[in-house]
Amino acid sequence: MSDPSALLLLIPLLPLVAAVVAGVFGTVQRLRPWAHAPVVVAAGLSCIAAIGTVSMIETGISRQEGGDSVQSAPGPVTFPKLKSEEDRIVWFGISYGQTKLTADLSLTADHLTGIMLLVITFVGLWIVVFSIGYMRDSPGYPRYFAIVSLFLAAMTLLVLADNFLLMYAGWEGVGLCSYLLVGYWHHKQSASDAARKAFLVTRLGDVGLILGIFVLWMMVGRDGFGYARIFDLAPQLAEAYPTLFPTACLLILCGAVGKSAQIPLFVWLPDAMEGPTPVSALIHAATMVTAGVYLLARCTALFALAPGVQLTVASIGVSTALVAAFIALTQHDLKRVLAYSTVSQLGFMFLAVGCAGPVLPAVAVTAAIFHLFTHAFFKAVLFLSAGSVMHSMHDVIDMRQFSGLRRVLPVTHLTFLAGALALAGVPVFSGFWSKDSILEAALEAGRSARFGFAYTILFGVALATALMTAFYTFRAYYRTFWGPVSMPHGAHPHEPWVMTLPLIVFGIGAVVAGIIAEPFTHWFSNFLTRSPVIVQASGGHTVEHHLNWALMLGSTAVALAGVGLAWYLYQSRPGSAEDVAAAAPRLYYLSLNRLYVDEIYNILFVQPLTLLAGICRLIEAVVFDLVRLVATVPRYLADVIRPLQNGLVQFYALSMIMGVAAFIGYLVLFAR
Amino acid sequence: MISLPHYLAVGAILFALGLIGFLSRRNLIVMFLSAEMMLQGVALNFVAFSRYHGNLHGQVFTLFVIAVAACEAGIALALFLRLYHRKRSLDVSLWQDLREPGMEPTVDTEPLPSVPKEEPLPHLPPAGVEPVREERHYV
Repeated sequence: MSDPSALLLLIPLLPLVAAVVAGVFGTVQRLRPWAHAPVVVAAGLSCIAAIGTVSMIETGISRQEGGDSVQSAPGPVTFPKLKSEEDRIVWFGISYGQTKLTADLSLTADHLTGIMLLVITFVGLWIVVFSIGYMRDSPGYPRYFAIVSLFLAAMTLLVLADNFLLMYAGWEGVGLCSYLLVGYWHHKQSASDAARKAFLVTRLGDVGLILGIFVLWMMVGRDGFGYARIFDLAPQLAEAYPTLFPTACLLILCGAVGKSAQIPLFVWLPDAMEGPTPVSALIHAATMVTAGVYLLARCTALFALAPGVQLTVASIGVSTALVAAFIALTQHDLKRVLAYSTVSQLGFMFLAVGCAGPVLPAVAVTAAIFHLFTHAFFKAVLFLSAGSVMHSMHDVIDMRQFSGLRRVLPVTHLTFLAGALALAGVPVFSGFWSKDSILEAALEAGRSARFGFAYTILFGVALATALMTAFYTFRAYYRTFWGPVSMPHGAHPHEPWVMTLPLIVFGIGAVVAGIIAEPFTHWFSNFLTRSPVIVQASGGHTVEHHLNWALMLGSTAVALAGVGLAWYLYQSRPGSAEDVAAAAPRLYYLSLNRLYVDEIYNILFVQPLTLLAGICRLIEAVVFDLVRLVATVPRYLADVIRPLQNGLVQFYALSMIMGVAAFIGYLVLFAR
Repeated sequence: MISLPHYLAVGAILFALGLIGFLSRRNLIVMFLSAEMMLQGVALNFVAFSRYHGNLHGQVFTLFVIAVAACEAGIALALFLRLYHRKRSLDVSLWQDLREPGMEPTVDTEPLPSVPKEEPLPHLPPAGVEPVREERHYV
């Protein structure tokens, strides 16, 4: 391969090929237990290719051209390299009169994409390894790995695309894989229901996204799908279309809200926990659900020019964070607690990207993507630990049925603790630094002239949510791993090395990913803010690094308070939690029943639609069956006289004679 | 004195007998004979009217009827032979395939009385040879 940038093509292509190979393995009985092999290899190679891509972005590409070695400047890598119009690979094109609509198959890896690629392929690789142990005895083993591999291909395509349409293809691809994997145990009614719900609810957002893409195309005109062109024109567009431009932003936000499970479309994510736990870790915590955050970060250049939309983004984020954290307080299902915490943390990321504009976009986007980065580690380790618990507890995940597991699952206990400390935002652990940078961005947005007050309120709510986060995380931790050892019937605690190895990798990541990447070295922000989209959105301003010690102390206090409260209620004085619940029964049941959101949606949307479908059925039955009635009458009339034609010669002769007799009788009696 | 009404009466009786035979018998050959009898009844009328009118018109028709009946007999008997080869029976109710599609065939609730088989006649063997009893099938 002469062109190093072709490496970009390999990143989605390898998992795609592996998906096909794994599918082929599934058809041969002897190869079925080895179906994971191609996927592990492809994910590993993809990860190496992603690291290579990042190093190319960092150092530039050296390539041989006509015997000379040419070193290009560090920066985004594109594939294919465009020297002329002929180099374009057209995916599809439609021309109508003067208007041309072409979608190119072109990939670009800038700094933002590079980080996403690292997260996706690294987390993907280790989760595939974990799955080897977790899915061992599951029927449909090759199918699982084929779809996970397909997911990796679609997700990397999503972040590598350099135009909106190709991104949308990846966007739909991950949605499809999510559907297939949530419904992996499709013989279970709840799983297939959850899969359908996930697909339909995200689809609602996707409709908004594709509309937004076309509104952008409408405004930009020719070649109006490429990121570069749209973002270049963004300031002029915002000026020329004062209403259409924010509308486009809102529509894109709609897509992000659906995919990242924000209010009002967050209901699908907790139900998506019906899928296998590694899937929950990979798709519904670390990668796919962050696609919405990635999209908003990618479009910062647009959103920063629509301050009203940005406030909406931040408000949606904070309210989602609060609501999800509130619900997570009382859930009994360990995976459900984690699912709501994912929704909540995604809300934090939305808050951060929503601050771009009032604060320098570079700061806001860095905070969001940094949280995305650390969240991928600590949420993956939490989910995988929960998966390990579930694997050992004979598929029981209800926290009321087990406790004291730290003695029987020592490795899982430690890795879960690492993840929990990071999620709670305890200092030094990764989540602390990223959550802190989000809070800092929100606090700074509160000082802006416009909407300053609103952002200050959002900051306050976010801080309160951080307290709840720390509490519910450690509630789950204490209830699962402390107290007297008790296990459900049929449990067989074991930790095979293919499962503990990824746990340890992610556990270490959850501990150190934050402190290495950002607070003192500033590697992460220095790398990310060189991304052209962020430079453009920030208008060339660079970030001044400073540590806000007061805020750090404050959030430390909040995190420790949450942890302490959980320790007090569930460890120090077991049973006191019930007293708290009894003191505020209405709040308790509101949280336990998930704010009745599903029920409300059922009444507001599902029931009217069912009614409409019923009416349509009725119309079909009454109106359209009239036609069938007209056709039926002659048929029944014919049935009356059909028996006359019975094929008996003598019957025919008799009827003939009777006819003649009647005729002669008439002649004799009446004819004159 | 035998006058025209007597001839006509005999013709009508012949015709009626043939008609009843045609409608009531199920053996193809007997039905055919009955049809012939109806023809003869009609032919008798022709001859009677020919005599009554004093011309030969009716006799011409009668000759014509007899010729046609002869042809008809040739064709009909040949057809019966083929039908018999198909089903080994002359029962007309076995042939009702030309009914409406989907209709149940008409089945006689009272089966025909079984005809006792005739004992096969013994053959006279050549002198000095043990007689062999030959299996022959009669309907």
